[in-house]
Amino acid sequence: MLDLLSYGDQGWGDEMLRGAGMTVVVAVLSFGIGLALGTATAAAKLSNLGPLRVVANAYTTVIRGVPELLVIYLFFFGSGTAVMWFARNLFGYTDYIDLGSFTVGVTAVAVISGAYSAEVIRGALQAVPPGQIEAGIAVGMTPRQIFRRIQLPQMLRLALPGLGNVWQLTLKDTALISVTALAELMRMAQVAAGSTRQPFVFYVTAAVLYLAMTTVSQVLFQRAERLAGRGVRPA
Amino acid sequence: MTHRTLLAAVAAVAVSATPATAQDVIRIGTEGAYPPWNFTDASGELVGFEMDLARALCERMDATCEFVAQDWDGIIPALINGRYDAIMAGMSINDERRERISFSHGYATTPGYLVAPEGSPLLEVEPLQTVEDVQAVLGDIVVGVQVATIHQAFVSDVLEDIDVRLYDTQDLLNLDLMAGRVDAALADASAWQAFFATPEGEDFAYFGPPMNGEFHPVFGEGVGVGLRQADTELLARFNEAICGMQNDGSMTALAEEWFGFDSSLPCPE
Repeated sequence: MLDLLSYGDQGWGDEMLRGAGMTVVVAVLSFGIGLALGTATAAAKLSNLGPLRVVANAYTTVIRGVPELLVIYLFFFGSGTAVMWFARNLFGYTDYIDLGSFTVGVTAVAVISGAYSAEVIRGALQAVPPGQIEAGIAVGMTPRQIFRRIQLPQMLRLALPGLGNVWQLTLKDTALISVTALAELMRMAQVAAGSTRQPFVFYVTAAVLYLAMTTVSQVLFQRAERLAGRGVRPA
Repeated sequence: MTHRTLLAAVAAVAVSATPATAQDVIRIGTEGAYPPWNFTDASGELVGFEMDLARALCERMDATCEFVAQDWDGIIPALINGRYDAIMAGMSINDERRERISFSHGYATTPGYLVAPEGSPLLEVEPLQTVEDVQAVLGDIVVGVQVATIHQAFVSDVLEDIDVRLYDTQDLLNLDLMAGRVDAALADASAWQAFFATPEGEDFAYFGPPMNGEFHPVFGEGVGVGLRQADTELLARFNEAICGMQNDGSMTALAEEWFGFDSSLPCPE
């Protein structure tokens, strides 16, 4: 059984590890882009401009209310069609344009991750006591200064536990993009299981690898939380 | 200004994207996890009967084959979407799929076979050739099949008054065959090959005719290349190449190499 998992051309060990590497790359990229997207969305949700709020609310409602797999299908099969429609109608370019399963996969997972991050960040921003913001205004700070000196540092501390959750969700969501045949961990496990007719070996291996990734990231998030909370007295 | 940057960006994507339908490249979508049809070896390469077949077909069509791995669930949408130009993934030709894609001539069929234990009088009955012959022999015995398969359709709907036992999986059917609860079983040749290869399967053997579309239409038209309905020219090229291999015997040779028996179909033209 162990030679099935050996490294090199005889075993699947190197394929599985490469798949795990791809999973980490996709998860980190998606989470990062999602964080930026989520911050912008949270800002939009709290803004005074009605249309911005409507767009931001529509985004988080739709994406969080639809199964992740469906979002990925829509991106994978819809984005190509959309891009080709623009190419054809704007440039008369009729050939097939391959966006690549990596690009599509990262985009789809980032959009999902962003919707969840947005809610976490919005909640954290709102949890900063309004009295502190009034105090900032009272001492003559500009809105920018209030954001940078009062809201942002506290928001980060308050958002970290929620963002840790979003990270784990994102990491596991990457398994769904195996439907695009991107060679990440889940896809490699499926291919190896089907090709060797040994599903148990490879699914357990994948589970162990996922668990290793989530355990390491849990430890890292715990440390980050401690670091962010060092100025706060434990309750 | 913003407009122009956007257009430039889209244009850049369009230019850098690879044009797919260059005359001599045919992109073949496959699952890569369905041995021996198509699967992935331990070094990550796509291999199998259909990979070898695709290379041979492309050579005859004066084209270069490129393989694209695609999960089974999305294999038809991705073809329609243009991710590749043809499906070769052990896909059976049927009317439901015909509503969305077109199929080449069938290039393989793995026939159904009846199996009984060594020493059973069933193995001695000769010759068993027509549906009527099979009906006569199976009339007095217990026959096991897997549920919701063409094999079940044959024994339940085509034959009459057969004592049929239904099983959820092939493995369960094999267990009852070994235990003697069924006298004979009907299943796909590729499933039997796997069973015969196990120590428990050594004492069993085929009897009766290979059951394919020629034997009875319920066994279908075999496995073919899936194509977009608009690509009629490509369909004609595939059909010509497939018939070429069927007529000169190279299809049979390739099938025997991968399946251990001749899974080829005759050229219908």
